[in-house]
Amino acid sequence: MSELALRIRGLKKQYPNVLAVAGVDLDVKRGEVFGLLGPNGAGKTTTLEVIEGLTDPDSGEMEILGLTWKQNASEIRSRIGVQLQSTSLFNKITPREALTLYGGYYPKARTADELLELVQLTDKADAFHITLSGGQMQRLALAMALVNDPELVFLDEPTTGLDPQARQSLWAVVRKIKSEGRTVILTTHYMDEAEALCDRLAIMDHGRVLTEGTPAELISQLAIPSVVELSFEGQAPEKSAFEARLGTGIQVRGDLWEIPTPDPKSLLPRLLEAAETEKVPYQQVHVRRATLEDVFLHRTGRSLRE
Amino acid sequence: MTHYFFVSSWFLFFLVVNMLLWRQFAMEWKLYARDRAAMFWTFAFPILMLLGFGVMFRGGDAPKLSIVWVQPVQMAPKDTALLKTLEQFPTTLTTLSPIEAETRWSKGNTAVQVESTGDGFRMKVNSYLAAQGQMTAQVVQQAFLISQSQLQGQPMPKLIPVSMESPGHAKSANYAAFLLPGLLGMNLMSMGLFAVGMVNVSYREKGKFRRLAVTPLPKWIFLMGQVMHRLTVTLIQTIFLLIVGRLVFGIENQGSYVLLSIVMVIGTACFMAMGFALSSFADTSETYAAISNLLFFPVMFLSGVYFTLDAAPKWLQQAVIVLPLSPFLKALRAVYNDGAALTSHLMGLGLVMVWTVLCFGLAVKRFRWA
Repeated sequence: MSELALRIRGLKKQYPNVLAVAGVDLDVKRGEVFGLLGPNGAGKTTTLEVIEGLTDPDSGEMEILGLTWKQNASEIRSRIGVQLQSTSLFNKITPREALTLYGGYYPKARTADELLELVQLTDKADAFHITLSGGQMQRLALAMALVNDPELVFLDEPTTGLDPQARQSLWAVVRKIKSEGRTVILTTHYMDEAEALCDRLAIMDHGRVLTEGTPAELISQLAIPSVVELSFEGQAPEKSAFEARLGTGIQVRGDLWEIPTPDPKSLLPRLLEAAETEKVPYQQVHVRRATLEDVFLHRTGRSLRE
Repeated sequence: MTHYFFVSSWFLFFLVVNMLLWRQFAMEWKLYARDRAAMFWTFAFPILMLLGFGVMFRGGDAPKLSIVWVQPVQMAPKDTALLKTLEQFPTTLTTLSPIEAETRWSKGNTAVQVESTGDGFRMKVNSYLAAQGQMTAQVVQQAFLISQSQLQGQPMPKLIPVSMESPGHAKSANYAAFLLPGLLGMNLMSMGLFAVGMVNVSYREKGKFRRLAVTPLPKWIFLMGQVMHRLTVTLIQTIFLLIVGRLVFGIENQGSYVLLSIVMVIGTACFMAMGFALSSFADTSETYAAISNLLFFPVMFLSGVYFTLDAAPKWLQQAVIVLPLSPFLKALRAVYNDGAALTSHLMGLGLVMVWTVLCFGLAVKRFRWA
């Protein structure tokens, strides 16, 4: 059995107006949760669609569970589980019926009851799909991706548009999937989600993988692992005078000044003194460890949410 | 031995496949039946059309010509003679006071208005109702001549007796009998364009096809399940219409049910293929709704669903004969109304089949899942 759940080399996909995937290499090990992280339009979804066999690539090699689409399409489909970015079902189908129907498409299927239990939808088992909340629909979509007891599960932005509580409960399901020994590949544009769920991740932008590794590795690769934040009431003030006195660059983000630094201990006294002299009306000072958000900002020069 | 294995594995394959197909078909029906309102209208609409128009135009007699007679201050003998003669003709006379008559005339509701002048009559014909008006005017002229000769003491001449007949449609002369096959055709076309075509576009648009595409379910099973569902819906609609036609209007299939079924199958295949083909030209449901309505309504009105096109201009008749609905309806009416064989409609049915092949080819070539 192949050690890798997924192996991709030189994957390219050109759409009429955009090179969606511009040469991607990826290795995903069995049993890990792997994240594709990037802003909208980075090429995450297209990459996923090519892997799932929904779109043909222009070039590149691809092995899924040691199989190729050319030779083993039907077997791949039987062994992977897919949650698309949006799953559209009939308004008046119930979760139990949807799971039974889709389970019937596979040679081996888990029971609807077992899956409903897994995603905590047992009490909504016989409610019409249209009456479910966004989080419940998303959990049903996840259950549908697990209906064939897959070895490899794809989740495309599983928590986009969900409230914090619904996200937490979806994360719990993803962790359970991992604990059952399945490999999970997910896309997200939430940094906290990537940090909380992924064993390893790749940051994508403009159809390329910019960097790859565990969340901790990616952060420690940054030369400046800490950030000092000054927060203001309302919009942050003009920064140039303060910048000149401090001798360090400042990034303005809404009502925040962010000052990346390798050594917050020596920066802080100078910073407070400069703030006093320049009469900077800050509210709070906060020192934090750099996050994936900072890694992304550093790698791409822009914020994820832009 | 290998041969035996080969045959039995094919048999097993079909058993499994058919089970999948059966399950898909059953699910289509189950979900369809949950949308009660949609299901009710699908079945009720053609029946209501048949009942409504069938009753409205039921009168076995020829429609009567309507005349407004302006009440004179005093009836002269010539007036009485004219009115009496008019009774011999198929006319409806409405007597109104000069003011009432004027109001009705100015609203445009009167086709022909006749009033007495001192020594003669005056007649006005509404140009908007010219076809009916001119005929009525001539009837009034004739009645006037007859009444004049009567006043001069001559006997009332005997009118030529008229009998209403429907040559070629001897056994089903009423409008419901004409309409029913038209509605069967309309059902087929709306099934193809709306139930098949529209559903495909919306499945593609909403990503239902994509969700299916990542499962190992063969796509043709999904499509076949849908097609089988639409076929059964159409079959039920057809049976309902035939039953209502028989019970309410006493009309029934004059030809063989085998021929009727053959014509229906040919038409079903054609309009289904048309729906599939058309759905490949639209990316959104809105675009598809526009395209399909643009096609549906002109074809429906011009192909003889509701009225015969015998009176339409020649070029129009020749234009619609190229479209599949018109020859399909001709063949269907030949069987249903006249109990005829299909021999004289082979050309027309051939044309329908050419449409089927073209649309099917186009659909296969352009069909997309996403």
